[in-house]
Parts: sequence; structure tokens; C-alpha cells
Amino acid sequence: MKALADSKANKYFLAAVLLIAVLIPQVITSPSIMQILILTLFYAYLTSSWNLVGGFAGVLPLGHSAFIGIGAYTSTILYLHYGLSPWFGMLAGGVLAAVIGVIIGIPTLKLRGAYFALATMAFGEGLRVLVENVDTIGPLKVNGPRGLLINLTGNSFIDYQFTSKASYYYIILALLLIILLITWLLMRSKIGYYLSAGGEDPEAAAALGINVPRYKVMAMAISCFFTALAGTFYAQMFLYFYPKSILGLDMSFEIAFIALIGGRGTILGPVLGALLLRPLNEFTRIYLGGILPGMHLVIFGLILILVMIFQPRGIQEPLTRLYRRILYRIKGS
Amino acid sequence: MSLLKIDRLNTGYGDIQVLFDLSIEVHQGEVLSIIGANGVGKTTLLKTLSGLMPASSGTVYFKDQEIQGLPPEKIVGLGIIQIPEGRRLFSLMSVLENLEMGAYTPKARARKDERLKEVYQIFPRLEERKNQLAGTLSGGEQQMVAIGRGLMAGPEMLMLDEPSMGLSPVLREETFRVVKKIAETGVTIMLIEQDVKHSLSISDRAYVMERGEVVMEGTGAELLVNPHIRKAYLGI
Repeated sequence: MKALADSKANKYFLAAVLLIAVLIPQVITSPSIMQILILTLFYAYLTSSWNLVGGFAGVLPLGHSAFIGIGAYTSTILYLHYGLSPWFGMLAGGVLAAVIGVIIGIPTLKLRGAYFALATMAFGEGLRVLVENVDTIGPLKVNGPRGLLINLTGNSFIDYQFTSKASYYYIILALLLIILLITWLLMRSKIGYYLSAGGEDPEAAAALGINVPRYKVMAMAISCFFTALAGTFYAQMFLYFYPKSILGLDMSFEIAFIALIGGRGTILGPVLGALLLRPLNEFTRIYLGGILPGMHLVIFGLILILVMIFQPRGIQEPLTRLYRRILYRIKGS
Repeated sequence: MSLLKIDRLNTGYGDIQVLFDLSIEVHQGEVLSIIGANGVGKTTLLKTLSGLMPASSGTVYFKDQEIQGLPPEKIVGLGIIQIPEGRRLFSLMSVLENLEMGAYTPKARARKDERLKEVYQIFPRLEERKNQLAGTLSGGEQQMVAIGRGLMAGPEMLMLDEPSMGLSPVLREETFRVVKKIAETGVTIMLIEQDVKHSLSISDRAYVMERGEVVMEGTGAELLVNPHIRKAYLGI
């Protein structure tokens, strides 16, 4: 009975959050705050995509920026050279990222702990150095370290370009909702259980006949696909990117930070982590950036240490508990 | 009739050889024990049989089919289930979820509900605790879940790796009773144990391993009265 009422309350709560999320752009007019909100959702989305493999498969990927880059470069090159709408380029980038993710995943997902993290990091960095040193691939311009610039077209849906921040906000919100739904479905599916069994104890899972590598590679493919979509989003929002901005270690690390602080392997963890860290990142950059560049990473590190000591399963745990308690209070009175 | 026939199996980790020309036969429906001290290669043997470790040479036949070199999921599909040493439960899943994890193969999934009932019959405690997280159970209860999880796969041959490890004397006896009970339902048992006295007393036959080789074989009753066994393993 209580559980039933709870699930009803959850639905109301979810609907309220969703309503607020949808209404925000109608209320907030400041473009800089909109930008912070968009980036928050962007990182929540990226971390949720990462979470499919980093959270459930029991490994720590530290090279996911590679797949963001693959998405951005694929859709942009297709757009610049063949005039293909970035909406289709985005899907092409996703598929390419998934294929590369599988190729990288098959040998590396057998590695455990730090070895997998290092292997993915090496892949991400390797790709960045490669792109920085390549000006053209055949007839396609990559532009090495100078990056790619997308021509302004003004408000044009087919070109994935909008003059209002609200449009980008709604796109990334929709992407985030899709990835959260997929995470939710996966967690409830057999595959989700096999994945987390293989993540917790690969040998015990294998002894039960679970083909652990297959599920891990599957998770990797889905994760890379969605990560690449974010790359196209980034390219279309800033209309300019270069290897360091999109392929660098910074993004890979920030995703992992958000996941670990928010709570990896949970649906809400990446969202809560991004809600806490992204605004913090922006404000430290605005107020401390002039004094000490890179200060925000120091603060991230400090928060990570504190969270790991006091809430090893991320901030989602105390927050969920708080939510339950409030719910109980309301019903109790 | 022999269900499993291991012929001159050699296995090792890198340059270190662990099993030397090991030949063992398991008969249909029996309880077979493999006993020996720490580090003689008993667990390595199990891992090789379940496909978790490659063998360097030798053959393994299960019902006249060569299984050496098959991946673990194929071997499980044939009905050879290993219950690994130290229980190895998925600690953040509930008891029920752990049990369901055992019914992975399509064949096992089809009969999941029926098997679950059987497991609850053998271990009524698990039904009471089905929604509890496996990591919060006592050692004895965890061992029950581990065995139950193996049974969910619908084994023809169940390989248990030191099921009595780390349990109190009372729970140890309980564990051996359960193994005997499972054997009576027609499942062939391969039992790996350091508790020589208990395992021999429930075994039809047994092999004694020393330094990666079989040094002795006989019925459980024969070995229990064997002077070498009594001196080396039972301390009498």
C-alpha cells in the first residue's frame, strides 16, 4: 500500500520536475544562465551515456571524449563537404562511434580495473594527437589543430542551427530524457542484470554461463553511439571546435568526475552530479579563472575526495534518502 | 557409465604447470570427491573443466562430446555447472535475483519457475529471505544461495569447489547433507574438498591429488580406512 502511494508520489514529483525543466527557458532570459543550463544538461547527457558502460559494466572508461570527437568530426565533415544535414550526420557519427567502440572494446573490456582505464585513456589521447597532426584525410579537410568552423546560416532547422538558446536547450533536454529512459529500461532488463553481474564478479558470472564480454561490448556500443550524438550537438552549438576542445582529456575526466560524485551505476547519479558540478565549474571559472586557471579542477578533485570518503556511492544516495524522508513527513502529517 | 572423462590433462599459468597428465572419470549419478591439500591444483582443474582457463594439452569428454576448449557459456549449456570457491555472490542483488542469474541459458530460463520451487524446497530459508540483499546474508546462507544459483541452471553435473569453506561445524554437516540430497535427485556431483572426512563419507568414489597428479583412487569407504589417507589427511 505504502509502495503504491510512493510510486504515485514519484510520478507527481517527476512530472513537476519535467514541467519546471520545460518551462525554464520561458522564464530565464539571461543568455549566460541559459548557457550554463545547457551545458549542465549536456554533461548530464554525456555522463548518462558513459554510465551505460562506466556504471553498469564495472569498468572506468577515461577516453570517452574520443567518441564525442568522432561524432563532431563526422557530422561536421559530412556537412561541410557534402551538405548533409547534421541531423543525419549525427546518426552517421553515432554509428561510426559504436563501430569503433566495439573494435576498441573487444580487446580492452577483458582488462580489469586501472588497465582498462589506462587503455581507453591512451586511445582518447592517441586520437587527439592523430587529429592534430592531420590536415586532410583524402579529399576531406580535418584542419589539424586549427579545428573546424561551421558557416553561420541563421535560424535553420535543417542545418541544426538556431539563434535562440532555448532551441538548443530543448534538444539537449530531449536527448537527456531519451538516454535516461534507455538507462531505466536497461536496468530493468535481463541484459542490465547480466551486465551488472559481470561487472561485479566477471568470473562468477562466467561460471554461470553468462557471456560477460558480449554484454560489455554491447553496452560499449550503445554508450559510444549516444556519446557521439553529444559531439554533434557541441559542434552545432558552438559552430567551432578543435581537437583540444573536444578530444582532450578534460572532457573524459569531467565525465568520470560527474559520474563518481553523482553516483555511477544509478539513473539519477549522472544528472545530480552534473547539476552540482557544472554550475560550480562555471562560477569558479568566472570568479577564480582570472586568478588561478584550472582552479575548477582542483575543486572537483577536492569534492571527489570528500564524496568518496563520506558517500562512496555518490551524492544520489543521501539525496534519495532525503527525498523519501520528506515524502514520509508529508504523508505522515 | 562414464559421464565425464578427463584424459591426460595438462594445465598451467604461464610457465608454471599445475596439472600433470591428469586422468579422471566421473560416472553418471555418483558423488565423486577430489581431495587434496591446498595448492595441488583442485581449483585449477575445476576452472579448466568449466572453460574459465585453457588447457595446454589433453582431452575432456562429456557424454562422448569433446568439451575442452569450449567457452564457459557452451559448457554451462551442456549441463556442467560450477559453484565457485568462496560463494562469489552478486552482493548488491537480492537472493531472488542471484538465483535468477543462474537460469541464464535458454533451456534453463524455460524451466525457471519450476526450478525455483525446487530450490526453495531444498533451502526453505532462501524463500524467507528472497528479497534480502545477498551481501547481507550469513556465510551459511550465502553458501545456500550459491548452491541454489547453480541448481537454477539445471545441472547434469554439479561441480562444487570447497562448499564447506569458512563454515561452522554444524553448517558444514548441513552442507554435506544438502549435497547428498541433491545427488539423490539424480544430479552427478563432483566435490572438491579439504574436509576429507566428511566428503569421503558421502562419496561413492574419490581421487586423491598431490602436486597436480592423481596419486590414489578408490571408493569413499576404502579411502576412509586407507592408512596413508588416515595419516596424511585425517591426522589419525
